[in-house]
Amino acid sequence: METDILVIGAGPAGSTAAKHAALAGVSVIVMDKKSEIGAPKRCAEGVSKEGVEKLGIKPSERWIAKEATGVRMVSPNGTAVNLTEDKVKLPEAGYILERKIFDKYMAMDAGRAGAKIMVKTLATGMRREDDQVVVTAESMGQELEIKTKIVIAADGPESRVGRWAGLKTALKPKIMESCAQFEMAGVQMAEPDCIEFHFGSVAPGGYAWIFPKGDDIANVGLGVLTTITDKSAYEHLLKFVENNPATKNAQPVELNIGGDPVGGLLKKKVTDNVLVTGDAAGMVNPLTGGGIISGMMGGRIAAQIAAQAVSDGDYSQKNLKIYEKLCEEELGESFKKYLKAKDYLLSLSDEELDTIAEAFQDSDFETINTAEMVRKLVKISPKALLKLGKLF
Amino acid sequence: MIVKEWCMYCGECAGVCPRNLIEVRETRLNFNEEECKDCKICIQVCPVQALEKRDD
Repeated sequence: METDILVIGAGPAGSTAAKHAALAGVSVIVMDKKSEIGAPKRCAEGVSKEGVEKLGIKPSERWIAKEATGVRMVSPNGTAVNLTEDKVKLPEAGYILERKIFDKYMAMDAGRAGAKIMVKTLATGMRREDDQVVVTAESMGQELEIKTKIVIAADGPESRVGRWAGLKTALKPKIMESCAQFEMAGVQMAEPDCIEFHFGSVAPGGYAWIFPKGDDIANVGLGVLTTITDKSAYEHLLKFVENNPATKNAQPVELNIGGDPVGGLLKKKVTDNVLVTGDAAGMVNPLTGGGIISGMMGGRIAAQIAAQAVSDGDYSQKNLKIYEKLCEEELGESFKKYLKAKDYLLSLSDEELDTIAEAFQDSDFETINTAEMVRKLVKISPKALLKLGKLF
Repeated sequence: MIVKEWCMYCGECAGVCPRNLIEVRETRLNFNEEECKDCKICIQVCPVQALEKRDD
């Protein structure tokens, strides 16, 4: 089998890459090891409306479970600060997706654009042959070889493909959030139109979330850094669910787990014939852990560069290198700010988080701007000045 | 490596393996134990504690 571009992984980043590469007129195969694209889901399913719009995707009621209009942030003692989208620009707030449908929908778009989709197909190895690459794979008991000019590795945080190509995609535990989530029914949220974040020792090194999916249904989960807790993410989740007023009477209908790379963009994302994108390239907002939109942005850029390289007949690292610059411009700069903000957030004790939440609880966010917010924050928490510096 | 029955094949273990020795299939994990240096990072990060080092 031969193709111009082989995309490995049909998550949102991979399918976006496959779609845009096919639209550019090159031949594309996209493969996924799973029998059902999009399942099981591994995330809280939140995306910003702005991000969906920027990607040129028409929102569909088939994959939007709920529109969220605000964010509720809860400190360890239960003090809540509410922000609504008409007052503050909110990352990851907007739509709560049904990933099992959304991911398929994105793959279908790739197929309609001309990409060949192979499900239940696992890449097992890779070798260079002349100026191209041969990927070995297994599909339903059959061994395959696919000769391709370019591989786009979109195989998630567990990426092996990048490493086969010599890229350092392995993640250290201190930048890999270990996540566990229940989808639950019977959730009684204080603000059912808001996504909810809980900070502090409830989730060491991360945070807990409740993302509404309509009626009394919500994704209830958390991410922890296993370098600073002896308990597993699942154990922390059980405790959170038991102690939280919104979830203590709710029942799970699904358990999801997975790793979330929150260390910022992978520095080296290309080598000869290979580009890495999506979670595999660290395209995840380090503060929120959200990676759907950023991964899709990365996938789109990867497709443009790869298709151009096919057209040039030059698949060398030198010709693909522009991908890194474009990703840095599109995602890297903001990720650096979010990393600093996360660093500050994780430095706060439960008591400090409570003090900050209490001070902001009654703020009128209609009149407060970012600079005022930071000034107020520095007054309450002097180390904000040190940690956040001239961030905003 | 002993993979417990409740492993959900999320792949977090594979993502942190410094030697790229874990292959995640849809319903199976394959460990290249011959090359393993026993760092146990995969055991540490598992969200559901589904991995255990075999005594041998």
